Amino acid sequence: VAITGLGVISPIGNSIEALFSSLSAGKSGIRALPEPLSRSSQCSIGAVVDLPSRDDLPKMRLLDRVSQLTLVAASQAVADARIDFAAEDRDRCGVAVGTGMGGAKTTDEGYYTLYWERSDRIAPFTVIRAMTNAAGASLGLEYALCGPNLTYSTACSSSAVSLGEAAGKIRTGDVDVMLAGGSEAPLTAGVLRAWDAMRTLAQVDDNEPFASCRPFAATRSGLVLGEGAAFLVLESWEHALRRGASIHAELIGYGLTTDIEHITRPTVAGQAKAMRSALRSAGCAPDEIDYINAHGTATVQNDLVETLAIKEVFGEHAGGLPVSSTKSTHGHLLGAAGALEFTICVGCLERGWIPPTMHLNAPDPACDLDYVAEGARSVTSLRVAMSNSFAFGGTNAVLIARRYER
Amino acid sequence: MLVDEFKLPAARLVPEAKLEDLGVDSLNQIDLIFKLEDRFNLKIKDDARKLVTIQDVVGYIDELVAQQQTRSDQPGAPSA
Repeated sequence: VAITGLGVISPIGNSIEALFSSLSAGKSGIRALPEPLSRSSQCSIGAVVDLPSRDDLPKMRLLDRVSQLTLVAASQAVADARIDFAAEDRDRCGVAVGTGMGGAKTTDEGYYTLYWERSDRIAPFTVIRAMTNAAGASLGLEYALCGPNLTYSTACSSSAVSLGEAAGKIRTGDVDVMLAGGSEAPLTAGVLRAWDAMRTLAQVDDNEPFASCRPFAATRSGLVLGEGAAFLVLESWEHALRRGASIHAELIGYGLTTDIEHITRPTVAGQAKAMRSALRSAGCAPDEIDYINAHGTATVQNDLVETLAIKEVFGEHAGGLPVSSTKSTHGHLLGAAGALEFTICVGCLERGWIPPTMHLNAPDPACDLDYVAEGARSVTSLRVAMSNSFAFGGTNAVLIARRYER
Repeated sequence: MLVDEFKLPAARLVPEAKLEDLGVDSLNQIDLIFKLEDRFNLKIKDDARKLVTIQDVVGYIDELVAQQQTRSDQPGAPSA
């Protein structure tokens, strides 16, 4: 499956160029949340996107922030792919979106009206703004795509699943093109408070708030919620060649497994199985993987379990295998995380360097892989990259991309 | 309201202009009705007559406001 278009709206840049410039500099998008959001939970920080909501535009009036971010990121991907859907068989073009919380802001506002203002004046667009498939629907309408329009909600692996499943539809020949990715807009009082109540959010570093998310560090204390969207244009190899598309990279592997022991606690076995399954579907030996973009949430549990799972799958190769968590700078985009991090993998394959795990000054002795803590690293031989996404609910999704040899 | 909330150019908002032609389709009309209810403190029933043009909307709101006025003018009517 060919990757021919990339688009991103993220806490560290609202274009692919801006994203990679931030990644190479290790620049963090984590900062104090605006008032009054900052007072809604113990965690007063978030990874915020610099893109005002555009409820003033007629097209955007019907859309929650999660759908607005979707439209903007996807428009970049479509422009980048130089695909003219008017010239395509629209029945063979589809949409796949991953989102964990859907139209959370709209839901929050509805509850506010109902329970706080004690009013029955719930806005008439509440249903169509808040429904989980609203972002996907907005894309289908925007580009008039009549093929499958699918929404996957598997918490933090949602958009890794949407990309993997979209690629599957292309592989089986059901469709030619899929506009696939994920979006999340969780920075609302209700969502922040709920994650805080789970005790999964990071302690704020008062001196350096931007460094509060510290994956694999001994001092890691949890994740930082972020918002954003990432979309890719995926198409069959023949289709991409036929229309003379410029190819970024190839999506070659997808592994999907489920942990059955516990709703939140990850397992080494489940994660390892997902990575092995992705390797199998890619036809890759473990030592062919040159880089892993880790799930690396900076929770105590995840980072240790993921480290052990990587060691189990890669054996001796694990020692020399660079693994980094870019969540240290862009935060945890939940349902959009997988698509953003896979996009980062694709961009790294094209550029020949690996982004760092930032704020890893005090490594956890139990987390002993090469986390690229020193800063962005040039790896000119970079050929195959893996992106891990693991979720509450137990859905482990792993994607593999290969550099396109022109 | 059509200028502020729906971003329509004032020049096109002549009485005989049809809402559909202005891009205010049936879905957006639900939102328009919701906002009119808030603005004029009215309750517009689901069986409201078909509002096609701007004049239809203005006329209907005038009527409802007048009815409300009459009701509250009647002796013994509960005060707001």
